[in-house]
Amino acid sequence: MSIKLSSSVPTDREVVLGILNNSEEALNKLYVAYFPMVLQFILNNNGDDDDAKDVYQEAIIVLYNKIKSGSFELNSKLKTYIYAVSRRIWLKKLTQHSKKTNNITDFEDVLVVDDDVEQHEQKDMQFDKMKVALEGLGEPCKTIIEDFYIHSLSMQDICEKFGYTNTDNAKTQKYKCLQRLKKIFFQS
Amino acid sequence: MRNEIELEAIIEDYLKGKLTADEQQAFEQLRANDPIVDHRVVAHKVFLESMQQYADILLLKEQMDAVHKTIDVDSLSDDLKPHPSKIVRMWRNNKSAIAVAASFLVLAMVMLYSIQSQTKKDGSFEALSREVNKISRSQNDLIRNIKSNNTPKSSATPAKFGGSGFAISSNGYILTNYHVIKGADSLYVQNNKGASFKVKAAYTDPVNDIAVLKISDLSFENLGSLPYSIKMTTAGIGEAVYTLGYPKDDVVLGDGYVSSKTGINGDTLAYQVAIPVNPGNSGGPLIDNNGNIVGVINGKQDKVDGAAFAVKSKYIMEALNAIPQDSLNRRVAFGKKSSLKGLKRDKQVAKIQDYVFMIKVYN
Repeated sequence: MSIKLSSSVPTDREVVLGILNNSEEALNKLYVAYFPMVLQFILNNNGDDDDAKDVYQEAIIVLYNKIKSGSFELNSKLKTYIYAVSRRIWLKKLTQHSKKTNNITDFEDVLVVDDDVEQHEQKDMQFDKMKVALEGLGEPCKTIIEDFYIHSLSMQDICEKFGYTNTDNAKTQKYKCLQRLKKIFFQS
Repeated sequence: MRNEIELEAIIEDYLKGKLTADEQQAFEQLRANDPIVDHRVVAHKVFLESMQQYADILLLKEQMDAVHKTIDVDSLSDDLKPHPSKIVRMWRNNKSAIAVAASFLVLAMVMLYSIQSQTKKDGSFEALSREVNKISRSQNDLIRNIKSNNTPKSSATPAKFGGSGFAISSNGYILTNYHVIKGADSLYVQNNKGASFKVKAAYTDPVNDIAVLKISDLSFENLGSLPYSIKMTTAGIGEAVYTLGYPKDDVVLGDGYVSSKTGINGDTLAYQVAIPVNPGNSGGPLIDNNGNIVGVINGKQDKVDGAAFAVKSKYIMEALNAIPQDSLNRRVAFGKKSSLKGLKRDKQVAKIQDYVFMIKVYN
């Protein structure tokens, strides 16, 4: 029974609970389950599979954030929600590239998800801002910051990884990097 | 510099809740007193939150990328990309709409069909009852004809035709329909040359609608040997046949084929023949291409095109057998090869027409 479930499309409840409990498996199953739907939509509306990947991942992030923030209510199917978000994101991208957005070929019912997508866009801007700031930081600062804040390495680990003679040197280096990063981040 | 690093570390620990209660209290005191420190705490908090979000999304993307690699995108794309054919694309895009439309169509057709078959049933019922009426009507038609032919008998010109008949022996035995002579006071036959002879009814069979007349006129000469014979077996559907008769003053040829082995309402005594006949054709012989008599025309179904009926030759033979055999001189042959066999239609008709008579009825 459990084997059967894991191979098929996960139930919506399964996914929501899984994401709330940081279950990697639930997210993976969700991802595999609905990618073809979005791929089909993008391919039939002037996009390629890379576009489909980007749009779909953004849609999953929107769903993920919404579930994590606790504001997600299951009043529609997850499938419908993901489709609607993907559609909205793709339409925006099409308009940005001034491609025609009339005559969109739909494959599912369409929900109104403009608010969610707009919120996501703001967050996405923050994400891009941080990304740009980190890129501008250069090595080894970028890796040190990423290791510390993203991969949650301890200063001891970083010290060994980068071959600093003691943790104080590492801490000083990290401090300098952080100050520069903050400067770039807040000024941009 | 040293202090700055220490301060940064404390702020971070404070924001992450890693300070002990005492340390936290001391730091909050410092923060309240020093606006610069407070500002740095707020700024670092915003930065940490952004970094946390960045980290979350980055990890999520990494995870999704990993999953994405397990999907066979190329083959999926092949399946899902717009099909070059417009029709397939339309089908894919509007599957549900097409399905609804198709099921609606099927439903509509089923309904139409059921309505149609229902009305058809009603129709055949009517037709049946009409046919039932028609039996008597078609029979009546002929009788009426006889009657209407007979009513002017009281007027100046009494000679009116009533039907047709044909010789079954060379010494003046004529076979016709019973309904032609029914109720007659006196009977005459007239040949194709216009000569009339008085006849008497020699035999009647109301069930099979057959009557045999005997020419009693002294002026009548022997007919010579009969060119046709009577067919013993039943004719098959599609067999080409023709008839000679007197719907008017001259002999008329009607051409057709046997269309059913039974007559009206499945009457096994008769054939149904697709042949143009009119009142006056009753009693005329139905002859196949070999010159064999297969039946006697005795009626038609009105309002139905090309459905005439003919008494089967079998009952002609019964009638013949009922007549005293010694009174029949050189009677018509049964099942023998007719002398007309192999002749063309016009030659056959030329030979037969001398043996087909108009029956004139007076009452």
